[in-house]
Amino acid sequence: MRELAPQVLGTLIRRYGQFDACEDAVQEALLAAAVQWTQKGLPENPRSWLVAVASRRLVDQWRSESARRRREANAAVMDLSAKSQASDYDDTLTILFLCCHPSLSVPSQLALTLRAVGGLTTAEIASAFLVPEATMAQRISRAKERIRSSGLPFELPPKAERADRLRVVLHVLYLVFNEGYSTSSGPALQRADLTTEAIRLARMLHQLVPGDGEVVGLLALMLLTDARRAARTEADGSIVPLDEQNRDLWNNAQIQEGVALLESTLGKVAIGPYQLQAAIAALHDEAPTAKETDWPQILALYEVLEGVSPGPVVTLNRAVAVAMVNGPLAGLAVLGTLDADNRMTHNHRLEAVRGHLLEMAGDLVAARESYVRAAKMTASLPEQRYLTLQAARLG
Amino acid sequence: MKYMIMTFGSAEEALQHHSKEWFRDMIAFMRKIDDDLVKSGEMVYNEGLVDGSQAKTVRFQNGLPVPTDGPFAEAKESLVGFWLVDVENEARAIEIASKIVAFVESPIEVRRVADGPPEV
Repeated sequence: MRELAPQVLGTLIRRYGQFDACEDAVQEALLAAAVQWTQKGLPENPRSWLVAVASRRLVDQWRSESARRRREANAAVMDLSAKSQASDYDDTLTILFLCCHPSLSVPSQLALTLRAVGGLTTAEIASAFLVPEATMAQRISRAKERIRSSGLPFELPPKAERADRLRVVLHVLYLVFNEGYSTSSGPALQRADLTTEAIRLARMLHQLVPGDGEVVGLLALMLLTDARRAARTEADGSIVPLDEQNRDLWNNAQIQEGVALLESTLGKVAIGPYQLQAAIAALHDEAPTAKETDWPQILALYEVLEGVSPGPVVTLNRAVAVAMVNGPLAGLAVLGTLDADNRMTHNHRLEAVRGHLLEMAGDLVAARESYVRAAKMTASLPEQRYLTLQAARLG
Repeated sequence: MKYMIMTFGSAEEALQHHSKEWFRDMIAFMRKIDDDLVKSGEMVYNEGLVDGSQAKTVRFQNGLPVPTDGPFAEAKESLVGFWLVDVENEARAIEIASKIVAFVESPIEVRRVADGPPEV
């Protein structure tokens, strides 16, 4: 049912204008559907049913509001009457671009995308991000207010801007996935609902923009990373690092799908950062044991990635690959180049990786100190516990 | 009645006194306490905080709010986590805190959450 949400919303906006009011009406229609369809079964045409119910809610709301608002509504209907012919047109992509408009803050982009495109309720989004519902409701309504006051048009971005705007959309979906996969704070390491939703939205985007290599890359990256979900934590929620994971628990179907997606783009499109990260994830996923991981190939890919999209996190990951190929001291030398980078000053991962490489090099005292420093810096409780255990192990 | 139960300290300090096994047990113990409080219907909210060394203090200086790094007070005085529980009486809040103290062996503060305005 939720995949109909952006289509119904698109139809309504074409008929009536006013993104924010239409979005509320679609939410109400989805709620009504959740109740009625479970009781009475699916209607013959679910999409038309939702459009009819949402339109009725919208008109009811306008009737009950002031005459001034009614005049606005009439004006909006007239403005858009020419477009209303195309009511079967799928506007999902237009809505996605609108929700990920660069003039909105990143948290707003995430929240609005999950609501207007994902069809999630405010309560569901709030619980996924572990904030009170009232906070999330405010965030969403501020984002919608922003869209209204900036007069953003309901249309696809012009061709010249399309590629840049698509990068923003991809980044939003990537952040939704990441929020679910490695929660930035709090007690639980992963929230499967957000990763599942991000994958669903990336699949949808892939259908809407089938030719884009980076869309494929992002979808593949999500599938290949999420495939390891069941092995990533123990029953009590504690972290299992990649080289200690039980690979029998990895999701093979998802790995195969990710690899196939990636291969479908090879040589056809310019390679981008998501495809490269997906290719690295695929090499990890395809190794039968941690020992058999193709580190030279992973190192080569990190070098390409650093050329395409340089940044301290890429360098950090490359340092691990260097250590695995050329030994821990070579890896530590790469880490040394990050010490002066103030973007990494408050990043616990630099110290966690340093601890790991120092331990590989046999300097247990320094390794322990690095683990302690990392434990002090991380904002994730499971990670804090994992790093403290690493330090205690060497104590 | 609502009470806040607060623990203090830091992982670094605990590492000086305890073994790896103790840390494993502690993690399991905390998880059990959380589960038990949820099951008994007494848990309102709980959170663990990042290390006290990451804290910032905002002071009012010369008429302006000024943020500085720290506190760098002794780690054992630094808040590291809390539970907000809704319990029958103070004795029960102390009972919960006692279980935790018996394990972590460092002091725990139990303080009542102030009531709203009295009902008329």
